[in-house]
Amino acid sequence: MISVIKIFFAFLFIWIGTVTLVAQNPFEDQFNYARQLYDEEKYFDAVTEFKRLLFFYEGDNYNYKSNLLIGLSYKEGAKFSEAIQHLTLAELNSKNIDEVFIARLEIIKVNILRRTTGRALTLLDSLQNDLKFTGKSDEINYWRGWAYIFSDDWENASSSFSAIQANHQLAVFCDSLDKDLYSVQLAKILSIVPGAGQFYTDEYVSGIISIGWNVLWGYLTINAFMEDRVFDGLMVGTLLWWRFYSGNLQNAEKFAIEKNLEKTNASLRYLQYYYFGNKP
Amino acid sequence: MRKIVPIFFLIPLFALSQSTSFEFHSPENIKKFADNLFCEGDYLRAIEQFELINEKLDDDTVKFKIMLGYSELGFFSESNEIFKGINDKSIFYPDAYLLSFKNQLISEPGLISASSINSFNSLQLKSFNKLNAISMLYGDEFNISRENFISPFDGDEQNSISTFYNYKVEPPYKSPALAGTLSAIIPGSGKIYVGEWGDGITSLLATGLLAFLAYDNFRADHTTRAWIFTGLGAFFYAGNIYGSIASAQIFNARIDFEFNNGLKLFLKEQNYFLPEYDFCN
Amino acid sequence: MENLKWRKADFSYEKQIHISKRDYSFDSENAGEFLTKSLTNVYWFLISDVDGDNCPFRPTCSAFLLQSAKETNVFQASLMFFDRFTRDMNIAKEHEHYPRVSAGYFYDPPQNYTLNQGRIKYLPPAFIVDDE
Repeated sequence: MISVIKIFFAFLFIWIGTVTLVAQNPFEDQFNYARQLYDEEKYFDAVTEFKRLLFFYEGDNYNYKSNLLIGLSYKEGAKFSEAIQHLTLAELNSKNIDEVFIARLEIIKVNILRRTTGRALTLLDSLQNDLKFTGKSDEINYWRGWAYIFSDDWENASSSFSAIQANHQLAVFCDSLDKDLYSVQLAKILSIVPGAGQFYTDEYVSGIISIGWNVLWGYLTINAFMEDRVFDGLMVGTLLWWRFYSGNLQNAEKFAIEKNLEKTNASLRYLQYYYFGNKP
Repeated sequence: MRKIVPIFFLIPLFALSQSTSFEFHSPENIKKFADNLFCEGDYLRAIEQFELINEKLDDDTVKFKIMLGYSELGFFSESNEIFKGINDKSIFYPDAYLLSFKNQLISEPGLISASSINSFNSLQLKSFNKLNAISMLYGDEFNISRENFISPFDGDEQNSISTFYNYKVEPPYKSPALAGTLSAIIPGSGKIYVGEWGDGITSLLATGLLAFLAYDNFRADHTTRAWIFTGLGAFFYAGNIYGSIASAQIFNARIDFEFNNGLKLFLKEQNYFLPEYDFCN
Repeated sequence: MENLKWRKADFSYEKQIHISKRDYSFDSENAGEFLTKSLTNVYWFLISDVDGDNCPFRPTCSAFLLQSAKETNVFQASLMFFDRFTRDMNIAKEHEHYPRVSAGYFYDPPQNYTLNQGRIKYLPPAFIVDDE
């Protein structure tokens, strides 16, 4: 009798094993196929197959996962509006707090990438103020830092990363760039003395030329007035001296903005290609 | 026990037959999925799916939807390639014929020499006549009376069509030669004729001031300065004549642009006189 | 069909730069063009770069002169330049007249002024040109 029972259970074990192997759920297969396309970076086709799964599957098992991956596929194709649309659907179909958090973060990342950083910061605030996510403050601060990076606010970016860890790698990076940037306001103020703003922005040749013109036209203007040639003085003063003096102010501001943009873009390039932590 | 055991073994088999029976890629299911994508407005994906089954099903609805999808996406030549494969006996052929007319009108605006087909119903024939008349507006030669031209159009369309007719027959161009001549007589007047009042007055003042300075310096025997002002004045004078001709040409280019753009907007508003195809309700 | 599908985007984190850099090269096809280019370079270096942002047009008046010389000849380019200069002096420039580049300047290319009607590319005032 014992041997019969043993044979029965052995047979049952083999049977169940075989059935499990053979009876793959076709919807699961379809999901895995779509997922494979996503992993192979065939994002257009991945979206098609996820959509096919969602169209035919009547339950809600795949709504969250598929919409999330459709959203991420669209994000990879830089189709940000469609990405947000599907990530929002993912969030609406989430079954637990973790899924809500993941979907919301992905929406925030898309907003960061498309530089709607105001929206990203509002969503981050809503996460921070939600008691359900009290244990997630590091992640929230991390993405807040990235939102500030993309809104060109390196000082606040550094503060956000510092809130995670005092010498966080990105906090140090943002802080160092923030210190390296020229103050546009200071460049303009210094230019009250012609050429000084250009010297501040390391544009020495331009600074010297600016000094030269201002000294020349300033001398000719003052000289004309001293010799009672009021018309000449007015003409040279307004048409030439003022032009070069205001040009000097504009020039210093322009240099500071242009150079800051170059530095900012170099930093963004570095973050995109050489920073290996999480990125939007 | 003997009765329970077979049932027990049959349960997973039943489950197996249920779960493995679904064919995502059967032609029927591909068509259902493609129809859904089409109705969502995801035309490119829909076309891709329709094309997978197009050969197998040889279904004119599928062909027409592919054609329509390409047209909606702005791929007009691809859309017209599909038209070539639609059988002229198909019930979709008249609609496809009109759609191909629209595609050609958008992609290669010009006079289209197409003839009416017998399978048009009265509404389709009306649309065809309207599109045919519109294509004449894009042609180089335009010899048709107003009455004949506007006759295919409905009452509320006739006002707009009448305006386009006027533009075509008598475009409100400015003459570059006249603009140049006017500026040669009175500096800046050519620009004013073209409608560039600010530029015209500036030109008159600049040329006038330099002429006065030249005259004044010649009178005061400051010959060098006088010649500098003369030279500058001459360049401003000649530059203004040149600029007046150029302004008239740009004005005419604007007229052409506004005509074409206005016509395009009008046709878009009218959906190129084609019906809204309802495949989704 | 494969060609029509979108693919992974080559998306850059960098901010778009709308600043046009001057071409200080002396590349020219004849002596007249070389002279114009040399004078323009000197003008840019000594005057235009330091006297502020005075030109509301793109290309700027000096670049317009250079491009006009390339499109036509030195004499015609001078006429085009003086016409442009007059339009620049017009203090009542109509804001609804010219299209604009993304940085906000009026877009006014020399191709529209060669007196070749076929080369004119009319753009409406509301139009924003992507590149200069």
